[in-house]
Amino acid sequence: MTPTAMTATQAGEFRAAGTDLSERRRSGVSKGPLIDISATSDTIGMHWDTDGSLRIGAFTTIGAIAADARLAAAYPGIAASAQGLATPQVRHFATLGGNLAQRSRCWYFRNPHIACLRKGGPDCPARSGNHLYHVAFDLGPCVAPHPSTMAMALLAYDAKVMTDQRSSLTIGALLGDGRNGGSDNALQPSEMIKSVALPSPLQGERALYKRAISRTHAEWPLVEVCARAVVKDGTFQFVRLAAGGIAPVPLRLAAAEAALQGKEASAANIASAAEQATAGAKPLPMTGYKLDLLKGVVRDLLEKIAE
Amino acid sequence: MSTMTINGKLAPLPDDPDALLVDVVRDALDLTGTKLVCGAGVCGACTVLVDGEPAVSCLMPARTAADRSVTTVEGIGAEKLHPVQKAFMAHDALQCGFCTPGFIVEAAAFHDSWRAAKGTAVPSREEIGAALSGHLCRCGAYDGIFRAVADACAGRFDGEAFVPPRMEARDKVTGSAKYTVDIHHDGQLEGVILRSPFAHARIGELDLTAARAMSGVSAAISLLGDDRIVRFVGEPIAAVAARDRKTALAAIATIKLVSERLPSVIGLDEARRADAPVVFEKSTRKKAGNVSEGAGAPASWKGNIRGPSSAFSKKPKKVRSWIDSARAANSPLLVEGTFRTGTQQHACLEPHAAVARFDGDRLTVHVSTQAVFHLMELIAKRYKLDHDKVRVIADHVGGGFGSKAALGVETTTAIELAREAKAPVRIAYDRHEELSVTGYRPAAEMKIALLPSDQGELKALSFTAYADTGAATNSTIAALARLIYPAEGKELADFDVISNLPAGAPFRGPGGPPMAFALEQAIDEAAVRMNIDPIALRKRWDPDPNRQRLYDWASSLEVWRNRKPVAAQSGRYRRGVGVATGYWLYLWQPGSKVEVAVKGGRLIASTARQDIGTGTRTVIANTLAGEFGLEPHEVEVRIGDSKLPEGPGSGGSRVTASVIPPMLLAIEQLKAAIQQSAKRQPVRGSNAPWREMLAASPDLSVSSVRPEDSRPMAPGIQSPLKQAGFMGWIFGWMMRRFSNLAIGAGVPSSVQVVEVEIDTWLGHISVVNVHTGIAVGKIVAPALARSQATGAVIQGIGYALYEAREVDSRTGDVLSGGMEDYRIPGIADTPMIDVHFDQRGFDHVLGGSVGIGEVATVPTSPAVANAIHHATGVRLTELPIRPDRLIAALKGRAAA
Repeated sequence: MTPTAMTATQAGEFRAAGTDLSERRRSGVSKGPLIDISATSDTIGMHWDTDGSLRIGAFTTIGAIAADARLAAAYPGIAASAQGLATPQVRHFATLGGNLAQRSRCWYFRNPHIACLRKGGPDCPARSGNHLYHVAFDLGPCVAPHPSTMAMALLAYDAKVMTDQRSSLTIGALLGDGRNGGSDNALQPSEMIKSVALPSPLQGERALYKRAISRTHAEWPLVEVCARAVVKDGTFQFVRLAAGGIAPVPLRLAAAEAALQGKEASAANIASAAEQATAGAKPLPMTGYKLDLLKGVVRDLLEKIAE
Repeated sequence: MSTMTINGKLAPLPDDPDALLVDVVRDALDLTGTKLVCGAGVCGACTVLVDGEPAVSCLMPARTAADRSVTTVEGIGAEKLHPVQKAFMAHDALQCGFCTPGFIVEAAAFHDSWRAAKGTAVPSREEIGAALSGHLCRCGAYDGIFRAVADACAGRFDGEAFVPPRMEARDKVTGSAKYTVDIHHDGQLEGVILRSPFAHARIGELDLTAARAMSGVSAAISLLGDDRIVRFVGEPIAAVAARDRKTALAAIATIKLVSERLPSVIGLDEARRADAPVVFEKSTRKKAGNVSEGAGAPASWKGNIRGPSSAFSKKPKKVRSWIDSARAANSPLLVEGTFRTGTQQHACLEPHAAVARFDGDRLTVHVSTQAVFHLMELIAKRYKLDHDKVRVIADHVGGGFGSKAALGVETTTAIELAREAKAPVRIAYDRHEELSVTGYRPAAEMKIALLPSDQGELKALSFTAYADTGAATNSTIAALARLIYPAEGKELADFDVISNLPAGAPFRGPGGPPMAFALEQAIDEAAVRMNIDPIALRKRWDPDPNRQRLYDWASSLEVWRNRKPVAAQSGRYRRGVGVATGYWLYLWQPGSKVEVAVKGGRLIASTARQDIGTGTRTVIANTLAGEFGLEPHEVEVRIGDSKLPEGPGSGGSRVTASVIPPMLLAIEQLKAAIQQSAKRQPVRGSNAPWREMLAASPDLSVSSVRPEDSRPMAPGIQSPLKQAGFMGWIFGWMMRRFSNLAIGAGVPSSVQVVEVEIDTWLGHISVVNVHTGIAVGKIVAPALARSQATGAVIQGIGYALYEAREVDSRTGDVLSGGMEDYRIPGIADTPMIDVHFDQRGFDHVLGGSVGIGEVATVPTSPAVANAIHHATGVRLTELPIRPDRLIAALKGRAAA
């Protein structure tokens, strides 16, 4: 049998709040047994360490992450990302673990009548078909962008993911490198996300999040970026950029980061670094615009951080 | 067995792990105020409170609610109305009402926590927009919702002093209004349709045996036509009725069919190729659908192209030669361009749905329809039943916008399944069906050339439109350019391009918005070339008296007077102001009847029409009450039932103008009858003479039929068809003869001035301010007319910026079948909207009022595009103006 979720096993598919899974069950994209999972005291809520680092239980809701004042002070990029995703009603119940483990939003994948790589099919119909909202960094056979905003934000913070089988997975190790067309992540069969650990924030860092969308709210990002930076004496001491909506996995924008490291936090430097955000991009015929948006979002965030 | 507490009472939860909370609430507990719309957590219509937190019950596993407290809309204001409910009623923050329960639940939770934290501080538009961002309203009631939530939070609705302008508002804010999908008869079965996975195929053997044999299945029928050919993905093949949806879905999965794939062709470009496979052979052309409000004229076919329909042209050969010469001479005044619009889905929140029930030889069908009376006639004809054996009922309709005007597959299938199963059957489309096979406003490619004369008059217009009609015909886009901006000559040609896609359908001013998108940008461009104010140019070229007054209003607006030169800014954010004009025909339905009666001292108006959210219940009540000096809530309005006197369909903006004149005649007669039978006259000097007379009146009833308009007309008011000469006369005659629609004199008109702000980095467009000036005669229900006007602007913004059906161009699969991929405007996308009603121009109509629904949405998309041009100097020629298209245009490259 083909796993129908990244957390699927022979025994069944994990279900926490069901905010992704219920839609797939209704449409028939997901079939087979369900395994309802629920929180233990260790897998929900904020667990602060004395060094200022934080472990967030996988069953913590996105709404709780978005509303936590201490988290917002220490990790503003995580809080802003949580505030920016989905809708208020979904955020009230959707869990952090479920957000990381959610499945592709590709309109071919979500159509039960269409075969695709993610459903065990032979090829990617979006690649040769209508991929208006798909990747601009073509890293693997499937061209759907990874849907997890939280994964993108956690990548910006070097977060580590604990599962019931492994500890300290990087976001890269959790989701893979984007070359596996058959899966939305790199979890083992029956492996369950338990919590996420964030290293303590840097002294004086600022962070922001923004998604480019056509409407004002409640839309899957065309491009989204979480930016962190430490600006001291008018100079970028540290820059970290993670982007979503553009690749099969969230990406670090290493070239743009490097272009600003140690540089004066000027509008001109930011503008030229933003041009580097698209280094390594490989857009599809319909997704070239995402590169413009990516540069725009990076520039927007860095200018605001440097203010 | 686990339980939840719902609205204070204990209720059991099912063991089925796939049961969702919305199904338990609606089906098991019959709390039908909670609506199922998108099934994907996007629209919020199913929102309930779970332990006080708003949750989308369409995604919540029912077992999650175990041992928790759930509150539905029925539990909010159960004893006394919540301030938010009162505020929604008072501000008319609703139209069809289908999204309203979800908004009420969320807004009540927001209000309660806001008041607890901030007292009576007023939340900003941004705060309200963010709080309600998980809700969508297709009618576009957002303008009223902003005001309602702000005022409720400010404590202005803590008391009982408020007047709801809409008759049925209370039923809609409390969730007690019953829509077709909420009807539940004893023993009712659920019907599901098996649809074609192929864009084009001939179906051979169809084996329903296994489906019929399944436990819980009561009927399985073929829906194939006589040629057994399916012409688009989603065309019906068979249907099953079973005890529940799950069983019915399992049953259709067992249906085996043998199919022969036929070559298919998808969309405007492919279908126009000379070697394209032909969708309708000559003998099957009658199977094609109709995208207009009236029946079409004959036209020639060549392959998949039907047309040109060019009867409205005037001196077309001369136009061509003038334009050719101007082009050869490089005339700077010649404006030429190609404009493209997207496929707009109606996206009604209540899906197409029907519940059919036979009692002996009598058939009762609840249908989500725009035409209860006409549907009864069509059903009677199709199934060879007498009119008095068929009854069509639609108490409330969750949106229509043109897509629910015909006898649809949901209705015929429910009837046929009910007959076969000998039990009542409900069919309610799922969201993918609603967003793929129920019709749409066809995409169009329009080529336009506009030539001013040396004297600055409009000399010639050439307009050719190709419409992407799918398995349908009769698009009228270019022809509409005949009835505005008179010119020496006009070359107008409409083509339908048929392909293996679902059939288009009439949609709010069919052909009007795409025509305006092309023409109004060409006019704007001409103004730029001629270096003249765009409103002044329209005033010069467009003599219509209604619009002349609107142009004066528009040019006096501060935002217009302070307008900067075109493309005067260079920063990241740029603002621009644009104008556009729209018109629609004033249509009315001959034969429309209204009965007014006094019964037990109470006034009752009855007519077999329906309220799809436009507010015609209220229009009737206001008129009736006003004539007798009463308050609207003191009279009763009976509609939504084909047993009542013949009423008009809700299409072509015809209802107000079809219903008020006969009602006024009937009222006049009723008054005479009351006076005649009065034993004594009211006390001299009484403030409420009719109230006294009605109280003493015996039961009386009078009905009247829509009279012809025969009053003298104001100068310049004439039938718009006069401009089209003899062809116009023929067109008018055909509309009346074949579509039962009369085209009256005077032109309902709209002029909009739109201000946008553009983020040139992110391609984001915000419509900041809209001024919409509308001339549709006397406004009978001002609050509701305002709702129509603002909703039309919001829907127009959707058309301009967000909405487009997306398909796979190889297979014909609709990809945008969910509400997250088919993007309608949300509350935070709503601009400040200033509505100006010019109430003159229709004094020749008894009552002085005509319809507003369609004309109000026509000019929005070109006004937005003209504003973008004003801000940037770049002309956006393709809808929707998505971020990728704006960015490409700013950079001078082609978009995908």
